[in-house]
Order: sequence, then C-alpha cells, then structure tokens
Amino acid sequence: MIRNSFFNVLILALIIAILGVLSIYSSTYQKEGVWQDIYMRQVLWLSIGLICFFIISGFNYRKLWDANYFIYAAALFFLSLVFILGIVRLGAQRWLKFAWFNFQPSEFAKLAIIIFLARYFSRKSVNDTSLLSGKFGIFQGLILPFIFVAVPMFLIIQQPDLGSGLILLLIFVCLLYLTNVRLKYIFTFLVFLILPLPFFWHFLRDYQKQRLLVFLNPNIDPLGAGYTIIQSRIAIGSGGFFGRGWLSGSQSQLYFLPESHTDFIFATFSEQWGFLGSCLLILMYYLIIRQGFKIAQRTQDTFGRLLAYGISLLLAIQVFINIAMNMGLAPVVGLPLPLMSYGGSSVLITFIALGILVNIDRTRNVF
Amino acid sequence: MERKRILNLIIILIFAALLAGLFNLDILQGKKFRKQSDSNCIRLISQLGARGNILDRNGEIIVDNKLFYDVMILPQELDHIDLVLSKISRILGVGAEELKAAFKRNFISISVPVTVASNIELKKAIVIEEYKAEEPSIIVRSKPLRHYPYGTLGCHVIGYVNEIDRWRLTKLEDYGYKTKDIVGFGGVEEKYDYYLRQEEGGLSVEVNHRGKFMRVLGFQAPKNGKDIQLTLDLKIQKIAEEALLGRKGSIILMDPQSGEILALTNYPNFNPAVFVNESPALITKLFNNPDAPLINRAIGSSYPPASIFKIVDSSAGLELNKINLSTTFLCKGSTMVGSRRFACWDTHGPENISQAIAHSCDVFFYKTGLLLGAQNIHDYALKLGLGRSLGFELPYETSGFIPSPLWRKINKFQGWFDGDTANLSIGQGECLVTPLQAANMIAPFANGGYLLSPYIVKAVGGLDLSAKKKKLTAINFKKSTIDTISKGLRRVVSDTAGTGNVLSSLPIAVAGKTGTAQVSRGATHAWFVGFFPFDKPKFIICVFLENGGPGHAAAVTVKKIIESMNNQGLI
Repeated sequence: MIRNSFFNVLILALIIAILGVLSIYSSTYQKEGVWQDIYMRQVLWLSIGLICFFIISGFNYRKLWDANYFIYAAALFFLSLVFILGIVRLGAQRWLKFAWFNFQPSEFAKLAIIIFLARYFSRKSVNDTSLLSGKFGIFQGLILPFIFVAVPMFLIIQQPDLGSGLILLLIFVCLLYLTNVRLKYIFTFLVFLILPLPFFWHFLRDYQKQRLLVFLNPNIDPLGAGYTIIQSRIAIGSGGFFGRGWLSGSQSQLYFLPESHTDFIFATFSEQWGFLGSCLLILMYYLIIRQGFKIAQRTQDTFGRLLAYGISLLLAIQVFINIAMNMGLAPVVGLPLPLMSYGGSSVLITFIALGILVNIDRTRNVF
Repeated sequence: MERKRILNLIIILIFAALLAGLFNLDILQGKKFRKQSDSNCIRLISQLGARGNILDRNGEIIVDNKLFYDVMILPQELDHIDLVLSKISRILGVGAEELKAAFKRNFISISVPVTVASNIELKKAIVIEEYKAEEPSIIVRSKPLRHYPYGTLGCHVIGYVNEIDRWRLTKLEDYGYKTKDIVGFGGVEEKYDYYLRQEEGGLSVEVNHRGKFMRVLGFQAPKNGKDIQLTLDLKIQKIAEEALLGRKGSIILMDPQSGEILALTNYPNFNPAVFVNESPALITKLFNNPDAPLINRAIGSSYPPASIFKIVDSSAGLELNKINLSTTFLCKGSTMVGSRRFACWDTHGPENISQAIAHSCDVFFYKTGLLLGAQNIHDYALKLGLGRSLGFELPYETSGFIPSPLWRKINKFQGWFDGDTANLSIGQGECLVTPLQAANMIAPFANGGYLLSPYIVKAVGGLDLSAKKKKLTAINFKKSTIDTISKGLRRVVSDTAGTGNVLSSLPIAVAGKTGTAQVSRGATHAWFVGFFPFDKPKFIICVFLENGGPGHAAAVTVKKIIESMNNQGLI
C-alpha cells in the first residue's frame, strides 16, 4: 500500500515531467545561444526535484507542524526581498537571483500558505481533542486566517502576479470549505469577495485589463494582447486527433506561439501530440490529483489530511487554469503548468509538494 | 453530501470541461485551426503570367506585353509603415500621402501584401529592391502589362483591358474569374478573354513569425495566355487608318473569297493604353465624349444605306423578272408616286439597269421598287444579309433594320404606302445597315454568288481556325443577275458620268457603288462599297463617312487607300 501511492505519484509525475522536457526541447532547440541548453537546465532541475522528492518523502511531515511559523515567515521574507532585489523579466518583478539560478518566491509561498492553513485549521481543543475549527466564530474562522493569506497575496499581486495571488485565494476558499468552518461564513466571504470586483477593476494594471478584455474577445487586438491566445488556440486546434508529431508543427516550430516553453507549453505539446496525447496528459494529471485526494481521505490526522487536500488542490487549480487559458477558456495569467513548464522553482516546489503528499500516506501507515 | 465528495465532483467536472474544450478545438474546429495555422506560416507570392499577344495575319505583333513592377508591403510585422512609405515615396518621386492613401485603400488583411505603388519602371524597381535589404517586408513584383506599340491602331478590333466589373464577375465567377482580375472589354480582348487570359502561378513559401523566409514549399509556373492571330493585315490596317484619320466613320477591307477582315477601323478612336496606365481623367473623358470613341461603328452602329441599297433593288428586280436588261425608265429629274413628287439627284434621261447603277438614278429605282413591292425588297435585303446580325465575332454587333409593311402594321399600327416603298428602294426612311453588312452585301457580286460570314480571328494559340470559320453560302441568284449587277458596279467607276468615276484614274480596275444618305440633321453620310481588282477581286472595300458629305467623298477616300496599297505592292 505504501509502495503503491509512492510509485503511482512518482511515475506519473516523472512521465509528465519528461514530456515537458521533450516539449521544451522541441520549442527551443532551433533557437540560438543559451536557448539551446534550456532543456538541459530543466533536466537538471528535474533531477534536483527528484532528489528532494525522495528526501522529503522520507521526512516526517509532522515536523512541518512545528516549522510552520518559520516557513510562513520565510515566505514573507522572500516575497519582500523580491521588491528590493528581485530581477525584472517580462515586465514583472517575480524572481530572486541566486548564484546561478533564479528563484521565484511566489511558488514557495503557495506551499507555505497551504502548510500554514493546514496547521491553523487542524488545531485541537485542549479539553476534548475535538477540532477547534468547528467552534470558530467569524473572526477566528474567517478574518484571521484571511489576514494571514492576504499579506503574501498582496505582495504577490504587487509583483505583479495576479495568477499566483488568485491561486492563494482559491486554495484558501477550498481549505475553508474542507474544514468545519460554517458554510454561511464561507458564503459571506465569497459575497464580500465578489461584490467589490467592479471596484477592483480600477486597481488592475493596463495589461491586466487588456488581458481580461481580450479573453472576452481575442479579436479586439489580434496583434497585441489577443495574439497569444489566438496563436495558442490555433496551435492546439491544428494538432488534430493524432497531432503533427514531435519537433514538427508550424505554430511552435516557427515561433508563432509566444512563451511556448513556459506558460503556453500545453499548446506546444498539444500541437505535436494532438487530441490523443493531450487527453492522456490531462488524464495523468487527474490521476495524480485523485491519488492525492485518496491519500487525504485515508489520513486520520487532520493536519495531514488538509495538507494532502491543499497540495492536490494546488496542483488541480494550476493545471486547470493553465490549460483553460491555453484553450482560451480562461483569461491569460502568468501561471506555469506544473511539472511541464520550464522553470526551476515550479518544478522543485511541485516535487517537494508531491514528496510531502507521499510522506503523508507513508507516515499514516507507520502509526 | 459530504464536503469532500462535492469537491471531488467539482474536480472531475473541471477536468471534464478541459477534455470538452480540447475536443472542441481539436476535433470540431480542427480543420479551421489547421487552415489558420497554414495561413500563418505559408505565404503565396503570386507571379503573373502574360496575357496572350494579338498578332496580325502575318504574325506581326499588334498588341503584346511589357514588364512593369508593383511595390507591395507586407503589413504583418511592420510597425513603422509611415517611415517605409516615406522612403519609398522619395525613391519614386511620389507624394507620401498618395502612397498612404493607396495603402489604406488596398489593405485587405495583415498577412496579405498591400500594393502601394503600381506600374513603376525597371530602374526604380531596382532601387527599391536594394532598399528591401533593410526592410524585408517590401515586395517588388514584376507584372506584364498590355503594351500597344501602334497606339490607337485597331483599337476597336482589339478592345481594351480593365479591372473586371460587377456584371461580368457574376457571369464569369464559375470560370475562375476573381475580383480585381484584369479582363477584356470590347473587341477580341473581350470575346476571346478566356483564351487570352493568363494563369496566375506563384511560389508558396514557409515563413516564421517575423515573416522571415524559411523554405520553399512549392512552385507553380504562371502560364501565359494564348496568342490570338487576327485576319487583319497590319499594313492595310495602317493605310485605312491614315485614310480615315480625323473624319468620323469606318473603313472595312475584306477578302471576298473567304470573308477574312483585312482591315477594320473607325474614327473617333481611342488609345487602349489609357486603361493600362489607369489615368482616371482620360478614361472619364473617353466615356463622356459625345462622339462615342469606344463604339465600334463598323458593327455597332447602323446608318441609312442610301444608294448602295440599289444593289438590293437590282437583284430583286432581275431575279423576280420584274425588270430585265432591256427595261428602260425615263428620268426627267423626278417622278410622281401617288400625289407626291419624288426627285432624282439629276436628270438622266432614258436609263437601263446598267446605266441606272452607274449613274445612281433614283427614278429608275423608284419605279423598279414600285414594280417589286416593299415585301420583295425586304426579302431580298434579308437574302443579302441586311437587317440581321451577321454573327460576327466581335461583341456588340447590331443587326441593322429593314422595314416591311407587316412590321409597320404590327408595331406602329400604320399602313404602308407607295411613297414608303419608293423611299425604301433608295435606302432611305427607316432602313438601317452597318458598314460590315454593306461590305458583306456586295460579296456575292465579287466572288460569283456566295454570301460570306465575315470573321476576324484566324488562329487561337497557334491552332488555325480559318477552315472552320470560312463559311460560304451560295445565294442562288441567276448568273445573269450577278453579271449584270457586277458590270453595273464596274460602270460606276468606268462610265464618265459614273458616280465613282474619280476611281477610274487608278491602275486597278475598281467596281462599287456610292451612296449619299440624307439625315435629319447635319451633312449627308457618304458611302462607298465595292471591290477590286474587278477581274479577279481580292478585296472588298467599304468606306463610310458619318456626316462626311456626298458619296463622292467616300470614293475619294477609297482612291487614296487603293493608291497607297498599290504603291506598297499589296494588291
């Protein structure tokens, strides 16, 4: 049983990551200079991610309970550091430069928030070992945790990275829903979230407004903001049933598709592997998430259960938003496709998260 | 339901939504996106073929093509169009505003090259081609355009070329014609457009997102249109045009044995090059000219035939035995028809048929006509090819008109009187013929009894069609009739009092008939229709001068033409 979930997750993640490397290679191998080695960097990150996966999966997740505040503080620290030292790329200040790589603290913050929330909602009453969250009033059940989420969220949105900020919010709502916090609080929260949306419009940056507008109609600006989404849809659609084959397909090979190795890697993959390959890919993502849900349901420990749910949901939400935006079903936000998109931080954090997930299942059996 | 179950369900639903979206893009709309993907990276660079040449009967070029160049801009990856346009305008010496206006007008979509300047010369094209190194989105395309080495020569036979109009497009769409195609208007260009028309070829290349050339996917060579060889003789055509120059009317020279048109010209004429250079002011002027220079008068307008119609009376009279060689009428300068006096242009005394033709005596033919009756005259006119379309190859042929008592009763609710018969027998009144019909009418008297179907296209794409086109129809007149009339026609020239006596000084024996048509306004129309040399006719000639004075004027023109032809040894 232990082996089962461990291997399932590992093998699925590995297959997806290898497909990702193939797609990164196909969309960059013709470019000049450093671009040609970019897939090698991804392989390197993948290896580091795997090592982390093995280490973390053998590392009792309960220790995270204790390190919780430290992790949260570290996340806040890195996020603040981005504002001071962060490097600017593609108009956003999202990365911290380390010795030879760039680190994206928002990826780390996602995991940190999940750990923090899992810890927060699984506190037990001193008297009868029942969960405290059931007795939470509106302040403790909603406002206080939201403040803890809102601080990193605000920092991330200011980078600007609306997508990652939004994900923190979604995870917060989902975890809220999965704990015993009363439904009416959640609904109140949602209402307060949705009502001022028109008001938030004014706080959006110009490019964010444009992205929302072109999501409604990409043809209002086919060469500007709508270009990516039009090209991405063409790439996916032109793949047909069987796809155009690895290393072929004009959209990605002739660079009509921008960001073809990062946020729009699904379009690259789909053009080359077609409906069949894309279906299988989506299925594999679903299987990992399902595995995560099963682990969560098997776990008696509330902290472990919420953590497993959080990690699975983080994966599910990112996969869904990214693929939906590739297909033009969601507005374009800067979100990677976990395990596939080029980017060390994303790969590393995803493997660490999966390691925690596997460890939850393993530790449960040790009890 | 438990919260975790609901969440589970939501996850399943959103993943199902992804699959549905994928199905929609790949399977339902896959073909559309595949096309869009191809149009993203495949560019067609069209190459135009040349329209077929138009040659004369000896293979001399009347119309050919000359290479010109178009400057086009691919707007896709260009963010500084104004700068590029201003540079081009400096090279071409054209205002930048004009180029900008052209760019706006011709813009179709970002991936289609836009023509900003057309028909520039080779030198400037080379300079722009050099500038292209800096600005790869410029395309210089060579384009063969109609070239008219002789200017207005044969313009009505040739026609002109222009952008296809709406009406033609609706009719020709099924034959592969597209908007903005260049097609022929009028003349051979229109009638044989399908053969003359070139086939567009081109290069299909793959480009990347910057429009940079990647590789050639395919090439199809453009096909030139087929050459059309006319029956026209360039030399004779030139002589005819010079003879007519400055006077309204038309001249036709035809081979009496085959019906080949050797020369056909009208004045006022036009220069078809105007349409190639697209000078709107000149084109508007052409269309608004009250003298209608675009009309091919030789086939497209009909006029009262006047005395040349007497050939019809003579044929009918002799064929129906109403008159014979010894029939003589006395011309006293006029005759009474009913209570009206019908005048002759002169007082001729006693005239027989031969003299009457030679002197063009009206009285003789009033009387002959009254003996025949209007219906017989009408019938013989139709036998000689008048009053109906000849089925000539050039477009916009009119059929002319020969009136008859029956027609008048049905259409005008009026009776037919002897006065009308008298009028008809001298080719006045409602009767109308085209110059080509007039030329055709005289053919049986030149070739011994055969009616022709005139034609002007000898060969298409090297395939000789003359065997098919040459159609002789025996007219079944008595030999004596034909002899009598052709001798009479000869006497027109040879008789000292003949109306065409001015031609007698020529070394070539000419036969023919003059005509002076009275019109309601302005000077009379002058006709001469005849053939030469008399013994062995090689040419039928018809000269018609609109408001050109008496028939004598036409005869003088004929003289000029025959003199020139003789000098050049063409007879």
